[in-house]
Amino acid sequence: MLTRDTSHAVTAALAPSAGLGVLLLIAALAGWEKALAWALFVGGAAYVGAVVASGHDVDSDAPLIAVLLFLAGELGAWSLAERWRIRADEALAWRRAVVLGGLALAGLVAATIVVGLSAVRPGHGLVWTAAGAVAAVAAVGAGGWLARR
Amino acid sequence: MTRFTSARVAGYTAIAAAGLIAGLALGRVEPVALAAPFALALVAAAVLGHEPRFAARLSLDRERVLEGDEVTATIELSADTAVDRLELLVLLPDELSAVDGPTRALRLRADDERTLELTLRCERWGAFAVGPLLVRAGDVLGFRSWEGRLGEAQMLRVYPSEESLLSLVPPLETQVSTGNQVARARGEGIEFADLREWRPGDRLRRVNWRASALRGELWVNEQHPERNTDVVLFLDTFAEARVQGRSTHDRVVRAAATLAHAYLQRKDRVGLVGFGGVLAWTVPESGLRQLYAIVDTLLTSDIVHSYALRGVDVLPPRTLPPKALVLALTPLLDERTAGALLDLRARGYDLIVVEVSPLDLLAPAPGSQAELVHRLWQLSREALRWRYEQVGVPVVTWREGMPLAAALEEVKALRRLARPA
Repeated sequence: MLTRDTSHAVTAALAPSAGLGVLLLIAALAGWEKALAWALFVGGAAYVGAVVASGHDVDSDAPLIAVLLFLAGELGAWSLAERWRIRADEALAWRRAVVLGGLALAGLVAATIVVGLSAVRPGHGLVWTAAGAVAAVAAVGAGGWLARR
Repeated sequence: MTRFTSARVAGYTAIAAAGLIAGLALGRVEPVALAAPFALALVAAAVLGHEPRFAARLSLDRERVLEGDEVTATIELSADTAVDRLELLVLLPDELSAVDGPTRALRLRADDERTLELTLRCERWGAFAVGPLLVRAGDVLGFRSWEGRLGEAQMLRVYPSEESLLSLVPPLETQVSTGNQVARARGEGIEFADLREWRPGDRLRRVNWRASALRGELWVNEQHPERNTDVVLFLDTFAEARVQGRSTHDRVVRAAATLAHAYLQRKDRVGLVGFGGVLAWTVPESGLRQLYAIVDTLLTSDIVHSYALRGVDVLPPRTLPPKALVLALTPLLDERTAGALLDLRARGYDLIVVEVSPLDLLAPAPGSQAELVHRLWQLSREALRWRYEQVGVPVVTWREGMPLAAALEEVKALRRLARPA
């Protein structure tokens, strides 16, 4: 993804951040849990940087990248939770897998809709910009409310 | 219960917000697409997470077990609301171990009731508190959890394992009550003692007709009566030698339990003195209740480091009745115990010292100087044994792996050789 349609200079600039993301992921799996979110953040930032640097209109792989990033985070968190060797009912693992699969599928659909809506004409850009700003504020607000609840 | 939120929530919030803002700032749709699954995850976390309401109760099928036995811990759960993932941990002391691990994880539906059983193995004697339960309830994806303690700790008494003894050390003197010990005195009994001339008042059935026919006058049998004895088990709790789970104090406690059980079965009165940093005693009594009292005192006995100077005069007089047989179980590591035992001998008690040898646990470190120190230490122990033997106290060494019965036989042999007049 990084090397496709980008210059060598851009690749050289972005490769370290992708490498940092991988290292943070490994650190998270080794036990430093907070590194997991940072790994996802750095990985996502590296992808956005590559896409912007490529200069193309819309990357149709964005929904797939989004879901893979999300699954990397969730599966990493799941493996960290399982390191305590708790004797658990088998159904618990199956249930978590089903819910995670459903959430990933829903995320894929949502990301695909977002990419599909990017075909909307520029004349409506202000409306979408405002909707995006409201969505950003809502996301931050929901996270804060959730943490306090 | 205390609520915890996973670090992922903050991370996903940051990613979702950064993606949306980056999309606005850069005019690209890809960051917004990246943010979508994470924003959905936050919505899912809000929907799935709710504080659960449930109850748990811990119980044991037995309160008293022997070393090496297994006990079943039962956890009864009842839920008012659904719990997607409930993790349970039974708090156990180091001396107990759960066969399949002390943790469980399960799901509870609303109004569900479940019972779990854990098998606990009792590795060592002692009085322990099993529990309470540590619980963690969370949503299915682990975004939020609630942790707390439930249930009450349950008391479990693990009694020390006992060895089998074929015979016991007889005391030099007996008491006046009837028992199973053949006394040295003469009177009514079963064991034949001697013949003597008939005196007025003697019963006809005691007449030895064969001796009477030989001598031409009446001669009667004399017997040794069966009396009980007072036995005091004297435990040295000033110091112990302990290496990797093996210790002299464990062997002292197991020997004390074995001896108490064996003497009480003979209808003797048995008492206990724990002489160390913390004094503990049980006045000599007989019967099954006394066995439980002694073992319960043993369970709570422990080595407590102390610099206090103690003598036997601090003990209540009833703990050391006259003519009692005092069996001292000691690793001979502390001078204060040696002083107390020699004091007991000076007061006229029938004293036997069983040295619970620490030599098997304290091997010398490599090096000529360490070996020299070790030899000097062994010589000082020899000198202490010589002090006891000089005042007529038999000292036997009970090594690890040697049955207690062998040490007691050695005591009996020593007393036969040096029988007092």
